[in-house]
Amino acid sequence: MAPGGFFGQALVVDVAGGEASSAPYELDERVLRAYLGGVGLGTWLMHRLAPPRVDPLAPEAPLAFVFSSLVGTPLTTSAKFAVVAKSPLTGLLTDALASSQFAIAGKLTGHDAIVIRGRADELSVLLIDGDGVRLEPAPELAGLSAAEAESAAKERFGRNWRTAAIGPAGERQVRYATISHDGRHAGRGGLGAAMGAKNLKAVLVRAATKVSVADQAGVLAAARDLRRRSFGPATAKYRELGTLANLLAFNAVSTLPTRNFTAATFEGAPRLAAEELHELRGVARNSCASCSIGCEHIYSRKGGGSQRMEYENVFALGPLCGVSDPDEVFAASARCDELGLDTISAGGTIAWAMECAERGLIDEPWLRFGDGAALLRALDAIGERSPGLGELLAQGSRRAAEVVGHGSIDFAPQVKGLELPGYEPRSLQAMALGLAVNARGADHNRSGAYEADLSGDLDRLAGGAAHVAAAVDTEDRAAVMDSMILCKFLRGVFDDPFTEWARLLALVTGWQVDAAELRGTARRIVRAKRAFNLREGATAADDTLPARMLETPLELGSGRRAALDAGRLRSMVAGYYAARGLDEEGRVAAADLADLLLDG
Amino acid sequence: MGRPKAWLEWHGSTLLHRATAVLARTVDGPVVVVAAPGQELPPLPSGVSVVEDPVEGLGPMQGLAVGLEAVADRAETAFVCSTDMPFLHPAFVRRVLRALAPGTDVALPVARGFRQPLAAGYRTALAGLVKDLLAKGDLRPGMLFKHCEVARLSDEELLADAELARHDPTLESVINVNSPDDYAAARDRPPPEVVVECFGALARNGGHRPRGVRAATLGAAAAEAGLTLNRHVVAALNGDQVTRDEALPLVAGDTVAFLSADAGG
Repeated sequence: MAPGGFFGQALVVDVAGGEASSAPYELDERVLRAYLGGVGLGTWLMHRLAPPRVDPLAPEAPLAFVFSSLVGTPLTTSAKFAVVAKSPLTGLLTDALASSQFAIAGKLTGHDAIVIRGRADELSVLLIDGDGVRLEPAPELAGLSAAEAESAAKERFGRNWRTAAIGPAGERQVRYATISHDGRHAGRGGLGAAMGAKNLKAVLVRAATKVSVADQAGVLAAARDLRRRSFGPATAKYRELGTLANLLAFNAVSTLPTRNFTAATFEGAPRLAAEELHELRGVARNSCASCSIGCEHIYSRKGGGSQRMEYENVFALGPLCGVSDPDEVFAASARCDELGLDTISAGGTIAWAMECAERGLIDEPWLRFGDGAALLRALDAIGERSPGLGELLAQGSRRAAEVVGHGSIDFAPQVKGLELPGYEPRSLQAMALGLAVNARGADHNRSGAYEADLSGDLDRLAGGAAHVAAAVDTEDRAAVMDSMILCKFLRGVFDDPFTEWARLLALVTGWQVDAAELRGTARRIVRAKRAFNLREGATAADDTLPARMLETPLELGSGRRAALDAGRLRSMVAGYYAARGLDEEGRVAAADLADLLLDG
Repeated sequence: MGRPKAWLEWHGSTLLHRATAVLARTVDGPVVVVAAPGQELPPLPSGVSVVEDPVEGLGPMQGLAVGLEAVADRAETAFVCSTDMPFLHPAFVRRVLRALAPGTDVALPVARGFRQPLAAGYRTALAGLVKDLLAKGDLRPGMLFKHCEVARLSDEELLADAELARHDPTLESVINVNSPDDYAAARDRPPPEVVVECFGALARNGGHRPRGVRAATLGAAAAEAGLTLNRHVVAALNGDQVTRDEALPLVAGDTVAFLSADAGG
């Protein structure tokens, strides 16, 4: 019998040809307890089901939708799922989390994960419920945005289905295309391209069963308590202004990446600031399913309509491209949503291209920093994969730089092929390490080391041992939150996180789990991700930052220079390897491999 | 004074705390306090270290030798000051240190009519020379200046620095507190004017727009902004280091940004 909150099985679906076939895949309790669900379980599934060195866009490459024991409970922010695959952008492991009713309905098909393999003969939708799986041709959905496809699918199949869909960029396998549902996106690493490569426009799930937890009364009481605490000061920022509140603050402390990381302050920041937009344009606030925080802030657009804005899409399509007109940034963000593009990778790749154009490395004289119309034109070219620039930029900044040459890889804003988020590594040096070593590539959700940089507890300009400890700790916490799954915007409400998370897990699953076990689980998940990447060809040389970050100091607003040279980063990476029990090449020790439960 | 100057209260901490904290926020290298044998010191900012002068009663030259020697392995130049300078401004420190060009051993302000050997810049390699002079009984800084290359900085030369001219136009940086009246007068002065900005959830009703307040410490500036520094609220001084240190001294011209510590998203 499966532990509370779990079904003890995944569903492996093959969509090859014109019909879908499926088979259950047993998940024994040992594996569930070792990996929890979400990102952790998805990583284990990739180890088991992805053929070594598989092309991420090949039919046999698995694409997994993974749930967890908490999904479907009343615990706030737990209606989340992870999408896990080998990334078309990085060639390594990628995972993306999203929140919506899709998580609950997907789990209540009776599975802890749904893994899809194969390639349909024509553009199709996959339906999964208590009656099994079926593949339906859907050529009429071609070219639609994810939101339009979701509406059309509901119209055709009924309103009680929950839909995850891709936009035109996913169909065309742009390497940073997203999977979307209910306006939310599993955004990073090109999971939309992986789904497009299977000729799937959408996956529809419908609840068919129930799942019980070990201590129903205890879970209800914990949910009430967590909900109450979610209204406290730790989440005030998200409730009151949303993540866009970062923008002006980051500008004030010289950590707002601007014009492809050539500066860390942006003169146009006040025009894009949440503080200003909230007063002038704020129209609504919204929440994900089962969430009491409500971080989603929606702004009116000039000429009508509204747009949800987050820090990362404003940073990437605004300062990073030198664009300061909020309406141009809103329009670019909306275009990314319509096409189904990861805004960070889209903005990063276009910012790199703008710099290339200004340096004369690519012959696109119209593509200039600060030109909002050029930004939109470039996004359209990417979404269409139009010959020339569109095709080039659809590959992401790393591959594009390999084509363009002339040293342009030095300023391609990526790690392991994934474009950098809006945290300047030179002025946030714990974060610099987190970005360099993370399995997913340059990522702010799997490493939240910026928390330490901005805590006042260490010198953010002088990376050293304290920064290593902070990077390891925040990565561990992320590994558990992403696997349980809980929203990271809740992290500040936990005074003793591992202990409190263990208590929640015990109530749901019935396991006698404690903080020490969960810390071990975190380390296992991080090691398992790294082991997967090593299997796929990653080396210690991938644990670095773009040359620009290591060779060009940054002038801060205060007049001080923020410098992060290669020696300092190497020293921090070595400290990270030691803290993680890895060898000098960043490899997982043989003794630790057994703990990953990859055999048998 | 009747009391050790290092312990004199200054806006919630002490004169010594202020002097060391101002230096710590100004320079990249180490900050060292030279204490007399057995001298008890008030709490110091984190990162500030103490070296004990093995010999008592030899005056400032002995302290200078000990201090320069203590940092010589980590810094080529050092700013040296006494504990009783409540208006020392970072712009003054920067201006003096900039005068230590190659070939110059001492940057000596001659400010407000007096030489200021205890508000001056020195090459740390001078430690040996100072000790030699002490061994010969030369206890006055003037003797040192005869044996090395000294750049004297007049009021005009000091104030040619635009930042210093803007924030300390009468060079109050070099004012000492030598009597109870001096101390009382210094305490009676209004705190420096600084600019406060609040961001994110801390900025309500247009509160993110810069405004001037008078505050001698970060804690006082937070209070002016209606905030308390804690795990959710931090501050960045002049866009640089992030801190929750309420005792951090502020000076004229500072900008303090209060941020939500719960970054991310």
